[in-house]
Amino acid sequence: MTAERILVVDDEPQIQRFLRPALGAAGYEVVEAMTGGEALKAAATRAPDVIILDLGLPDMDGKDVVANIRAWSQLPIIILSARDRESEKIAALDLGADDYIEKPFAIGELTARIRAALRHRIQMQGGQAQLSTDGLSIDMVKRSVSRDGKALRLTPKEYDLLVMLARHADRVVTHKTLLTAVWGAAHGEDLHYLRVFIGQLRSKVERDPAAPTIIRTEPGVGYRFVRDDN
Amino acid sequence: MPENDRERTSRPDPDVLLALVDRDKRGKLTVFLGAAPGVGKTYSMLMRAQRLKKAGVDIVIGLVETHGRSETMALLEGLEVLPRREVVHSGRTFSEFDLDAALARHPRIIVVDELAHTNLGDSRHPKRYQDIEELIAAGIDVWTAVNIQHLESLADVVAQIAGVQVRERIPDTVLNRADDVLLVDLPPTELIERLKEGKVYLPDSASRAVDRFFRLGNLTALRELALRRTADRVDDQMVDYLRQHAIEGPWAAGERLLVCIGPDALSEKVVRTASRLASGLNAEWIVVSMERADGEDGDREEMRQLDDTFRLAEQMGAQTRRVIGNDFVEEILRLARREHATQIIIGARQDRSPLRFLRRSLADALAARASGIGVHLIADSDKPSARPKRTRARASAKEIARWVAIAATAVASATAAGLVIERFVILQNISLLYLLAVLISASYAGYVAAIAAALFSGLAYNFFFIEPVGTFTIAEPHEVFAFFVFLVVAILVGSLASRIRQQAKAARRRATDILTLYDYSRTLSGTVDVEDVLWAAVTQTQKMLRRGAVLLLPEDGDIALSVAWPPDMELSVTDMMAARWAFEKKETAGNGTGTLPNSPFQFRPLMTPHGVVGVCGYVQRDKPLEINEERALAAILDQTAIAVDRARLSRETLDQAARLEGEKFRAALLSSISHDLRTPLATITGAVTSLRQLGDRMPEESRNDLLQSIEEESGRLTRFVANLLDMTRIEAGTLNARRDWVDVADVVRTAVERATKYFPERAFETSIAPDLPLMRGDSVLLGQVLFNLLDNADRFGGDDPVSIYARREGNEIVLSVTDLGKGIAPADLKHVFDKFFRKGRPDGRARGTGLGLAISKGFVEAMGGQIKAESPAVKRRGTRISMRFPVAIAEPSKRGCA
Repeated sequence: MTAERILVVDDEPQIQRFLRPALGAAGYEVVEAMTGGEALKAAATRAPDVIILDLGLPDMDGKDVVANIRAWSQLPIIILSARDRESEKIAALDLGADDYIEKPFAIGELTARIRAALRHRIQMQGGQAQLSTDGLSIDMVKRSVSRDGKALRLTPKEYDLLVMLARHADRVVTHKTLLTAVWGAAHGEDLHYLRVFIGQLRSKVERDPAAPTIIRTEPGVGYRFVRDDN
Repeated sequence: MPENDRERTSRPDPDVLLALVDRDKRGKLTVFLGAAPGVGKTYSMLMRAQRLKKAGVDIVIGLVETHGRSETMALLEGLEVLPRREVVHSGRTFSEFDLDAALARHPRIIVVDELAHTNLGDSRHPKRYQDIEELIAAGIDVWTAVNIQHLESLADVVAQIAGVQVRERIPDTVLNRADDVLLVDLPPTELIERLKEGKVYLPDSASRAVDRFFRLGNLTALRELALRRTADRVDDQMVDYLRQHAIEGPWAAGERLLVCIGPDALSEKVVRTASRLASGLNAEWIVVSMERADGEDGDREEMRQLDDTFRLAEQMGAQTRRVIGNDFVEEILRLARREHATQIIIGARQDRSPLRFLRRSLADALAARASGIGVHLIADSDKPSARPKRTRARASAKEIARWVAIAATAVASATAAGLVIERFVILQNISLLYLLAVLISASYAGYVAAIAAALFSGLAYNFFFIEPVGTFTIAEPHEVFAFFVFLVVAILVGSLASRIRQQAKAARRRATDILTLYDYSRTLSGTVDVEDVLWAAVTQTQKMLRRGAVLLLPEDGDIALSVAWPPDMELSVTDMMAARWAFEKKETAGNGTGTLPNSPFQFRPLMTPHGVVGVCGYVQRDKPLEINEERALAAILDQTAIAVDRARLSRETLDQAARLEGEKFRAALLSSISHDLRTPLATITGAVTSLRQLGDRMPEESRNDLLQSIEEESGRLTRFVANLLDMTRIEAGTLNARRDWVDVADVVRTAVERATKYFPERAFETSIAPDLPLMRGDSVLLGQVLFNLLDNADRFGGDDPVSIYARREGNEIVLSVTDLGKGIAPADLKHVFDKFFRKGRPDGRARGTGLGLAISKGFVEAMGGQIKAESPAVKRRGTRISMRFPVAIAEPSKRGCA
């Protein structure tokens, strides 16, 4: 199997300078782009498997790059962002980006995100009816959830919420995406629903609801269903 | 309330409940009502007060007249009595109720006797019932007492029964709005008994009237009025109770009266009668006046009378309307239908006015066309003295003389012309010349002149032209006939012409008014500044009313005088109180109103849909506005209010925009600083973690490259932090530049060496004058400045070498750094030394910190030098930054201690 190709879009030469050898050493082939225009061209011609995209580009808005790519491709996009660009990051996720990582980051964190994104891409192609992690298993055909072999009773909304998160396992799902998918477009801003239902869901699926390991909070952005790497 | 209320709903009427809620916040008014003086109102009030006091209720006496009666005096014992206010009025001292003291004391219940009292001197309100209204509005319960004869609507009935004109009257609405009315009743025979025993207080001067007033018949009639009034109230309360508790019951059918009035004395009687009728029927009533749309403005006296009648009607609880139209009957009926009136009341005057036939037909036409609506005619009393004098005849003798003179001149000219013409030609109709004279008189001098001219013409025509000439007799019978026809024609033509003249005058005045208003609105629409709007408004008001005008706007929770015209006008304390009142209560105050009428100003609130935006005042001094001025003022005030509101909003929008701009700038700043800090950190973190986790899988040169990038980025970070610290020191004023002797050439060399290390690709050319003296300064700071300039030049300098010059110019050492890059746009040139200014992308992300030049400037100035930027520097390209330092006076031997 050939190495997966990663398109790194960042206008800072320093960032490119360490990502190239690091990702190369991690077994990926790196394609570089310094501008949004180059990024779009490379995405179309070089057939990358994952795109790592910095939002602040000299020629165009990173969000437009996301929207442009999403118009024709589902290939995974990981946003490189900073804390002071929170709203842009969320907007990019809502536009279809798959995940984000905040600068500065450790390389291990980035490679983990890349792996999650690639894995998801494979799932998208194959589909998946069952999912289990850390003793929790979800059967999407039977619509049943169990922990350590014992069936859990979830309300329909709780179940929808869990499945929505599990389908995007290891990737962040924004508040808005969750609200729209589970409650409908009219409730896209009703964050309090989500807080209440996530609380209920955690009390049922987590081993220790006070220190959740499966449904993790991404502050200000959304939630992430974390699978143990087995 | 038309149909809806007649429906029998089984839900409580929300209006009734709302009124109740509103009432709960206000104090309650309890009126002790009596038929005549001496029935024991004060006594009964004090008895109750004592009882409540014993029960521990906070009740005080605001004012009670005991008239020296011992039994009443005894009842005051143990009750708190508020001190009165001394008032000087026409040289004598009176004591009045102290409203402000009562408001300050704020008891639960206050007793204020004699509701119908008229205040003296500089009291806030002219009438005591207005004081009491204010107490109630402040949430204090008030007990007060009044005799039935003081009710406005009963004034003429009382006058008829007792033959006494009651001067102190209260509007019926005061009694209607009272929460409780307690009837203090005493049979007339007992009252007369008490009077004889001297137990009823009466002023000495009134003793003669007393005998007439305290007759059994009078007292019985008054008692009946009082009883009936109370019974009506009880009835109203029962209906209210039924509605409130949603009890279905035989509620009174919603009668509504439409009352038509005009500018005459009869109208007052019509209003009083209608008021009694309305209270008897428990009906709402609307008083309406008619004005001709095409007619001339009525004269001032009539307008005032109409206003007075309206005011009376409002006091009695009527709604008022002014209707303008041509077809009175049609307008009245249209209004009646719109208002769901069930009865129309109109005065039928039996006078000899020339308009008599018009009025007759109005009442008749109404009766003929008002299907389903009852029409009441109120006949005039036959006392002719009640009619006011027609003021049109009140023109000054001087004016009449002028008119007559004009008429005489016109007729004399016509006669002369006639006599001359007759010499030459036989003129059949000399009378046409006289008609011309009548027409000219009419159109120049009006009605009186026209009639005078007609009469003079008749005489002159007869005397000079009708046989026998030279006498006032007429020989031929057909000449007699022709003469009278001429007279009638002359009078008719004259009156028509004068009427047209008046209409033209009125039209002209209206056109001027409209034009002025139009000009004003155009001026306003061109101004956006509050200040300008205010000036336009105040000058316009002054011009229109020919009276001084002021405008007050809210300021720090109070209102303050903003502009005045004429500009030297000042407001007294009383004026300010009235203005504040107008602002807070959103109603007219000051001269001519019920609040602080002692102020020479009348103040009106400037109302917009968003509430009150200010107050406009004008000098009234007891001369009310005429009706057309009133209209113009209302229009001006409306426009001003809207313009002030708009100006204020636009100012707020501008402030908002400036604030937003500032916020945007701060956000960009923060974003750029965080970017400058984060990018090196991200590189270092990424490189370090890569080396740790993946280093063993990397080729040697990649590892070295990563290590080198870590070193470089650390250096970058260090420089940035150092810059920030330098900037902080400069800003905090803690930068202490040393004053050593510095060899400039040395510093330049070191800086260039350092720059070459950082920017190996860049070529630097130095040119230092050999005779350069030492300078006083800080070699470290100067080196840092130079390095910053070289750093900048490298970043923006294109590919050509950067040159550094140092030389002496007069008493200065000049040091400059020149690059040949694109240069700086003229607009940016003055900002280059600003903190965080940088040429780059609009989001503030650019290479460099935006601090280099700012720090350089700070350092140079700390060393007593100057720095400036020029662009283009050479051949329309590049930038030159040059520094000038003074040459030190006492120069040590060269290279002595550098």
